[in-house]
Amino acid sequence: MYAIEIENLYKSYDSLPVLNGLNLRVRQGQVYGLLGPNGSGKSTLIHLLLGFLRPTRGTLRVFGQQDLEQVRGRIGYLPERLRYHLRYSGREYLRYLGQFSDLPGEQLSARVEQELGAVGLLSAADRQLATYSKGMLQRLGIAQALLSDPDILLIDEPTSGLDPAGQREMLELLAEVRGRNHTIFLTTHFLDEIELLCDTVGILFGGQLATEIDVQSLRAPGRSVLIKVAQLPPELAARLQQMAPAVRCTGREISLQPNTAALQAQVLRALLDADLSIIALEPQGRPLEDIYMRIVRGDSVELPAADPPPAMFAPPGRPDATTRVLEGAAPTSPGRPGTGDTLLRELLKQDQEPPQTSPTEHQEPL
Amino acid sequence: MNMLIRTLRFVGFTLVEYARSGRILVELLAGVIFFYIFLRRWTTLPSPEYFFSTTSLFALALTFYSTSAALGLGDRPQGYLLLVRRLGRGGYLLGFYLAAQVVIWAIYGLISIAMALYNPIQGLDVRGWLLGTLPLLLNTALLGALLTLLAPIVLPATGRLVVLALVAIAFSGGLIGGQTLAGLPGPVTAAINIARTIFSTPLLPAFTGFALSVSRDYSGIAFAIPLAQLFLTLGLLTMAVYIFARREIILSGG
Repeated sequence: MYAIEIENLYKSYDSLPVLNGLNLRVRQGQVYGLLGPNGSGKSTLIHLLLGFLRPTRGTLRVFGQQDLEQVRGRIGYLPERLRYHLRYSGREYLRYLGQFSDLPGEQLSARVEQELGAVGLLSAADRQLATYSKGMLQRLGIAQALLSDPDILLIDEPTSGLDPAGQREMLELLAEVRGRNHTIFLTTHFLDEIELLCDTVGILFGGQLATEIDVQSLRAPGRSVLIKVAQLPPELAARLQQMAPAVRCTGREISLQPNTAALQAQVLRALLDADLSIIALEPQGRPLEDIYMRIVRGDSVELPAADPPPAMFAPPGRPDATTRVLEGAAPTSPGRPGTGDTLLRELLKQDQEPPQTSPTEHQEPL
Repeated sequence: MNMLIRTLRFVGFTLVEYARSGRILVELLAGVIFFYIFLRRWTTLPSPEYFFSTTSLFALALTFYSTSAALGLGDRPQGYLLLVRRLGRGGYLLGFYLAAQVVIWAIYGLISIAMALYNPIQGLDVRGWLLGTLPLLLNTALLGALLTLLAPIVLPATGRLVVLALVAIAFSGGLIGGQTLAGLPGPVTAAINIARTIFSTPLLPAFTGFALSVSRDYSGIAFAIPLAQLFLTLGLLTMAVYIFARREIILSGG
């Protein structure tokens, strides 16, 4: 069963269309990120899913129910701009919210303590919310959303309007929430959040789902890679360039464009066999950003392969944040580009293992 | 049953919020000022009629303030965290309404206790107080229900204008009459009179309730007045909940 099913959904404010025939499905247990520019209708969609707004046309089902009153209580919600009744203490507030979710007495107390502990607010639980810092209020937001152990979490732009430290703290908390196996539907306009948290990303543009991508596929080798070596003898450079037209050698740099997993492995093996020191291996460009920008500009989009090989290195950007996900996804992942020969030997070893998918599926990595 | 319990819990939640915000001080201060001006011991002892007529008007004024203030609490983004839970829209709206009524009835109770302690009313026993109090409080419930229906989170601006226009027509007897009506063509005068009769009928329980509170005379069919007040209140609340359950919720106040 799907947690969310949206078919041909239209939503207009007065005569201004916001959603324009949206089709979207989220499987149970999936972490789905909806990416879109400001004003693209992401928050409107969340409010439609919560039943606060009514569709102009089309159908929308949550756990198979079109009558959203029937699923009230199974949904946890983290709004974009968290506002609280600040005259309550953290513990008091969660207790009230739990009562409105029909949590019985003992279970309620246990859940409140559990969630306060999970977000690190136990020591401040009896302080009035008015004295909480912004970060503490964000953490309380996560606690309230998870209080009734909902089947699905709707998270609306969780880091919007936060400073970098606040964003980081929120992402770390959400990464922990991700491990609790809830179905999560998250809207954002930050690529980092998608790369860190989501299984699948949909890009909302023009009121429709422009594309949907398996985030794992974005962690495949870069569409274009630059290999830097300590030295590159001319004869070796010539040999490398003969391997494929995609290989270009300039000085002590080797560029693979377009890159493939097989070609990259072949070039690296040649470099190691020649006993050359490899200084760096840098993916060029950022796949999700490229796709997103092309969609927003109205260009045609070439999507990554559906079943990519295991992640070989992290995309650039926020290496620490990305590494955390990659560590979970592929234990052998080095996490950062250009970490030396030992690592490359491991990668090549990995490359020699029997492939799980046919080579042709890996011909178009990003 | 669960719905009722959730709603009552929300009433408690709203009352705590209302009290901690300090808004309750406005009602308390208004009660003290009202008591000092109208009910403190003068040279002559107050009659029951004087007590109920002045307190009825004060209670209605208080209803305007308290209901508006409580419903204003509902039009804040904080409401989203409540509405997403099992409390639901009906419990949310009724919670604010009932919380305001609790405040109004509590202030009325305090005034009555103060009267009993400091300026006892001659000829008014507990039975008489109860007979006068019932229609008085039902009138506050009725006005509160009308204000709930007219709240911005319930009725959009157009709907509010329509309801207010109907109320204006119902009340127009004292404003448009005599010379004004005489100058209009016959059919227009007849239409205005018919509209006035139709739209003022629902207000009858409020007006007669006020009279019953002062007279405390339940003979004849007067016993039906509190019932009419009650049913009109329930009707207005049902309408408010029905509309609120179907409209789009965009909370904006801060």
